Amino acid sequence: MPKIKKKRLGFVIDMTPMVDVTFLLLTFFMFTAKFKTEAEAEQKFVIKRPYASADTSKLPDKDIAIIKVGIDTLTGDTSYYYTIVNEVQRRQVYDNLNFTTEQRKPQVKVGLDLLDQLIMQTRITGPRTRFAIDGDRRIRYKWIEDAIDVLRKNNATAFNFVTEKRQ
Amino acid sequence: MAGGGGGLELPERQRRGKKHSKRKKKKRVGFRIDMTPMVDIVFLLLTFFMYTTTMVTPQVMEISVPKEVEENVEVNQANLFTLYVRGDGKLFFSMGSDEPQPIAFGQLRSKAVELNMLRKNKLITAFKPSPDAPYGAIVQVLDILNQAEAEIIRQLQAEGIKRERKFAFVKISPEEVEKLKGL
Repeated sequence: MPKIKKKRLGFVIDMTPMVDVTFLLLTFFMFTAKFKTEAEAEQKFVIKRPYASADTSKLPDKDIAIIKVGIDTLTGDTSYYYTIVNEVQRRQVYDNLNFTTEQRKPQVKVGLDLLDQLIMQTRITGPRTRFAIDGDRRIRYKWIEDAIDVLRKNNATAFNFVTEKRQ
Repeated sequence: MAGGGGGLELPERQRRGKKHSKRKKKKRVGFRIDMTPMVDIVFLLLTFFMYTTTMVTPQVMEISVPKEVEENVEVNQANLFTLYVRGDGKLFFSMGSDEPQPIAFGQLRSKAVELNMLRKNKLITAFKPSPDAPYGAIVQVLDILNQAEAEIIRQLQAEGIKRERKFAFVKISPEEVEKLKGL
């Protein structure tokens, strides 16, 4: 007797559990996502931070001014970049230094002289502002030494080095 | 969307409905939405957020330097432990006014602990990196010294001594840079 073969006409998978889990993950990643700041979005360099052993102290996200020493990805030049995280304070500092409209970027490329003036104004407008040096691990120590000297000159003797946890 | 549990129950339910009312009422038994487009979008967003999130947050290392002072502080040479980092990232150390000797990064921690335990709080660590040394190596040395510090504090505490850390960044002289190059 020939067997009657039932022809399968497609099949349906219940996607509900998968969708549940996917949405859960999606919301998790959406909430934990930290977007690049205005300053980071337009910078043309990526800082490869020096490695250090695990530490509990994290980079504060307010009342901080960051001196970045980055290597430009296109030209390969090293230069200083200065960011004041607090927008109100940043405007005040720029006003005091009579910055032009083009200069009023969230992150300015600076030389040592301008860095000195900026740090001085930062100290005046916000005495509690902390400083951090975010340098690339490949640069020469001279760059950091000079930045430290500028900080010292402005009586900012306690500051931070931004590092990355060694994996 | 063929088949499915709801579809199979249909005849039984209709019969039950007939018992109560004469009117022929078409009862809706569940419905299905094609979730495929939604799932597509959700997966797209999920992968986007997964790739863009950075799990490593930068951490900081606290540094403090002395204020600018005009007069030099006299230091007992015998208690001076000097660390040098040469331009190529090699590490050297010297005790007092001895010649700098090479030391591996891996041995620095035990060396720092050993010397500090020998001289207790009297030892002064001076760090003299060459201006052309890579910054990564400098931070590595500072990190190792911080680790050694924890060990020293623990050992001194066992002896009932309070730790006073004496550490300073010192500018390297051009002569010393030359001397290191010859080693």
